[in-house]
Amino acid sequence: MNRILAWCVLLSVVLIGCAGPSSEERGVYGLTLAPSGIDPHVNASSELGIPLTSVYDTLVYLDPETGEFVPGLAERWDISSDGLVHTFYLRRGVTFHDGTPFNAEAVRFNLARITSPDLASQKARFMLGPYERVHVVDEYTVQIYLSEPFAPFLDTLSQVYLGMASPAAVEQWGDEYQLHQVGSGPFVFAEYVPGDHILLRRNPDYAWGPTVYRHETAQLEEIEFRFFTDPATRSPALETGEVDVMGEIPPQDAARLKSNPDFRIEPVPIPGASLMIFMNTERPPLDDVRVRQALLYATDRQAIVSTVFRESSPVAHGPLAAVTLGYEPAVEEFYPFDVERAMALLAEVGWSDTDGDGVRDREGQPLALDLYLMGWGHMPEVGQWLISQWAELGIAVNSQVVSYPEALEVAAQGKHHLIPFNLSGSDPDILRQFFHSQAEFNWSKIADLEMDTWLETAARTLERADRVELYSRVQLRVMDGALVIPIRDYVNLNGVSNRVQGLGFDAQGWFPWLIDVTLSE
Amino acid sequence: MAQAAFVLWLAVTLAFVAMELAPGDPAQALLAASGATAEEIAVRRVQLGLDDPLLVQYVRYVGDLARGDLGVSWLHGRAVSRVIGESLFPTAVLAVAATAVGVGWGLTLGLLAALRRSTWLDTLVTAIAVLSFSTPTYWSGILAILLFSLRLGWLPSSGEGSWRHLVLPALVLGFALSGSIARLVQTRVSEVMNEPFVVAARARGLPARQVILFHILRAALGPALTVVALQFGFLLGGAVITESVFARRGLGKLVVEAITWRDLPVVRGIVVFSALVYVLVHWVSDVVQAWLDPRLREELV
Amino acid sequence: MIKWYKPRRRPLLRQPVVLVALGWLVLVGGAALLAPWLALGDPVVVSAERVLLSPKADFLLGTDMLGRDVLARLVWGGRWTLGMGLVGLGLAVGLGLPVGLVSGTVGGWLDVVLMRMVDGMLAFPGLLLAMATIAVLGRSIISVAVAVGLAAAPAYARVARSATREVRAQPYVDAARAIGSTEGHVMVRHVLPNVTAPLLAFAATQLGWILLNGAALNFLGLGVELGTPEWGAMLADGRGYLRDGPWASAFPGLALTLTVLAVNLLADGVQEATRPR
Repeated sequence: MNRILAWCVLLSVVLIGCAGPSSEERGVYGLTLAPSGIDPHVNASSELGIPLTSVYDTLVYLDPETGEFVPGLAERWDISSDGLVHTFYLRRGVTFHDGTPFNAEAVRFNLARITSPDLASQKARFMLGPYERVHVVDEYTVQIYLSEPFAPFLDTLSQVYLGMASPAAVEQWGDEYQLHQVGSGPFVFAEYVPGDHILLRRNPDYAWGPTVYRHETAQLEEIEFRFFTDPATRSPALETGEVDVMGEIPPQDAARLKSNPDFRIEPVPIPGASLMIFMNTERPPLDDVRVRQALLYATDRQAIVSTVFRESSPVAHGPLAAVTLGYEPAVEEFYPFDVERAMALLAEVGWSDTDGDGVRDREGQPLALDLYLMGWGHMPEVGQWLISQWAELGIAVNSQVVSYPEALEVAAQGKHHLIPFNLSGSDPDILRQFFHSQAEFNWSKIADLEMDTWLETAARTLERADRVELYSRVQLRVMDGALVIPIRDYVNLNGVSNRVQGLGFDAQGWFPWLIDVTLSE
Repeated sequence: MAQAAFVLWLAVTLAFVAMELAPGDPAQALLAASGATAEEIAVRRVQLGLDDPLLVQYVRYVGDLARGDLGVSWLHGRAVSRVIGESLFPTAVLAVAATAVGVGWGLTLGLLAALRRSTWLDTLVTAIAVLSFSTPTYWSGILAILLFSLRLGWLPSSGEGSWRHLVLPALVLGFALSGSIARLVQTRVSEVMNEPFVVAARARGLPARQVILFHILRAALGPALTVVALQFGFLLGGAVITESVFARRGLGKLVVEAITWRDLPVVRGIVVFSALVYVLVHWVSDVVQAWLDPRLREELV
Repeated sequence: MIKWYKPRRRPLLRQPVVLVALGWLVLVGGAALLAPWLALGDPVVVSAERVLLSPKADFLLGTDMLGRDVLARLVWGGRWTLGMGLVGLGLAVGLGLPVGLVSGTVGGWLDVVLMRMVDGMLAFPGLLLAMATIAVLGRSIISVAVAVGLAAAPAYARVARSATREVRAQPYVDAARAIGSTEGHVMVRHVLPNVTAPLLAFAATQLGWILLNGAALNFLGLGVELGTPEWGAMLADGRGYLRDGPWASAFPGLALTLTVLAVNLLADGVQEATRPR
């Protein structure tokens, strides 16, 4: 027994000795999901963009400060007056990390790859919307044809999913390309062990960065990305020095980290759809707008934001997060927390507790709602709050945790009363995914032809002010009709070691501009 | 051979039926959040062969396998063999480390208990053994993280990358394995000590230490190895709880992911893999037993 | 000094360890049954004012991240966890026992087919079987019980089969047949009474396994409904709050461990009490 004890002591001494500091040249970045694949043309995960935004360059960039598109691999571009043809004039002298020159043919190759059915793209293909074809005009001029105008097109092209890959490398590696990716960005894709780590190495020849980058070349020699899928492990990894930056720190850990002088929390509000609970307008009793309104009045969002999110993200008032282009502040006037009003509305519709069991009923039927939710993104905690808050008003909730594919099926069949969900994205066209009558996420089961028209028109309107006006109408209509219960805007709580400086994020809010990151001892 | 094929066919068919009954559409799950339209999703469904009649899907599903083709993962878009291979490595590393810990600790405990029969040590060891397989690893793992990572800061709480990441999961899982090994060794050694050949050896005046090493241990090793082989096979199937607690990748996580996303080719691959492991482990344990116990060897030959 | 060892056989209730284990199980089971009548806090209602309070007089075991009384949830949770275990065991025995008895009795091609089916189940990854079962049946505590019960059934069938074969090989069975007893008579008079002891011991062992693995499914978030105070689910809920409230996950884990421990000690006791001389 003593010998075992001695071994334990020895072992622990060795372990402590091994925890050495890392150098100034090398950073470690904690990712939160181990994506099933990280080829941006193929896969859909947001996590892949965190490293790969610095491996690939895009034709254009979206400046998060101004909201304007700035040149990237394209020096400038024209859009034909009918909005169908985008002509890009490409930058010269750009080479991929493997030495392949970047030119119009490379752009054509990349678009052809993304749109090829054989690639089975899970995201990039669909971001291109009404893409029709690409035409090489000369070595440095390329035209992209659309079948109809598509306002989010430049936004699409500014994202890593449409990053330009080296045609030679793609041809060389085929199905295994994702393990050997080659772009033209400030970092070279050095190593990827699926599920374990990704290693980026500085590209010393980088000289074509967009104006949104503050440095000419990357300031770090190497950045390693490791995966921390379990939220509970993220803050310990940061605190023990395993990583220098960690995304999506759970709110309760963020609250504690704030009081630690060695670390800071850099919250980044993510544009897109807020976390909202879709109310099935086809299924009684939620087919009555007054019942839906009652649920909105009965929801104390502030209490949820205070306890579940520890005040780290703002209360949401409408379907768009407040930092999204086209956000309509007038939604904030809707539905303050007002239990009296909620009860009055329910009574008005005839729901009252006649048998004294604590649950309202009408014509012998109890007021019971089916809530389906997914097990991530704090949805279970939010769900339990709602259940508790509504129970006080005599509303019973049957909750069921489901996986994402199950949720899609449940919603498609309309078996739900309520399902929470959110999606991020810098363009307000994201509303079309939720409130168009034909949308995949039309979980409110709304068929408002006028709203369909607004959403379709907005997607085709290139004039920004006109779009904003249309989206404003949509947001007001959504809240007017009480289609959703907005809960909170998403804020990514990045935990950052104080030796890290210069960490900035793109307009999506997810993707860091690693070129500008520096480390000090 | 025919029987093994029957077992495999049964397992694979079971998987197909279960995945067919479970709700969720893989094509929709893959594409819905990307803004794909209903038509585009329908096209993908056709591409994946999900629109074919069930019987056609089933024949293709079994037929591919019969030709030795594990297919391409719907979710990963890469060959199933590669996807499984990548997950297998960390699982195997953990399985080997945990088995080593479990065998070392279990053998020590079992021998101590058997040699000090009916003393306080015996009682203590028995208690530790039962405790080890009564403790959920998702609890001992959390306690270990709490103590060694959060309070003492000695070891990383999760993830992979170095041997330090392996220490806690291997200890936690190894401890869970050690109990049944300890008990087996304890019983077996106690029995062996009454066997005529041990008694004879002692009568010949061999020192106790030598008797233990050569006769008792050898006789006890067989059954212990059988248990180890079975458990190792089980661990290769993915110690999903340990993987989850310590946020490690591995086969267990792959199973969860494949089922969640209705990734049928990967599910089929995993079923085939576990069936192979099952058959292999049983064969290995038979061979090992025979090798250790000459009486059985003659029987087999 | 090596002592020569002879296994002893002791009646179940003469074993102190068994008495302690039984005491714990009676305590947990009794509290779970009587939960509505015990002076406990509400196990479900959340409260912003008392999030993650440490154990003290008002909340003996503290509160969890949604302000619920951990003690109340533990006691109520016994209903879910133990109930799940018993239903699962019932299913495992209900499926495994007949298959094992038939296979061991009839033998021949039926034995081969049944045992290969058992092999097929055993070769099937347990987690996959459980997840597929839950996916098909929908998430609920019943699905979890069915999933672990199904996973445990093949092993039970195997043990039942070998116990049956062992008994049937005994001389007195041959004797019974020789004097003209029917197969049914042999089964009821000779086989069943003699396989009861080993199968009971194995059932107790399996209950421990079922409790551990059923709670594990809930820990993985595959099982119970939201907010259900099941021990495995409570452990999972508390896991994100190890720093601020370790009690929220430590106590459910302790309760589960002690219960499984008690069940396993009971299984040992049964084995010791029925050990053949």
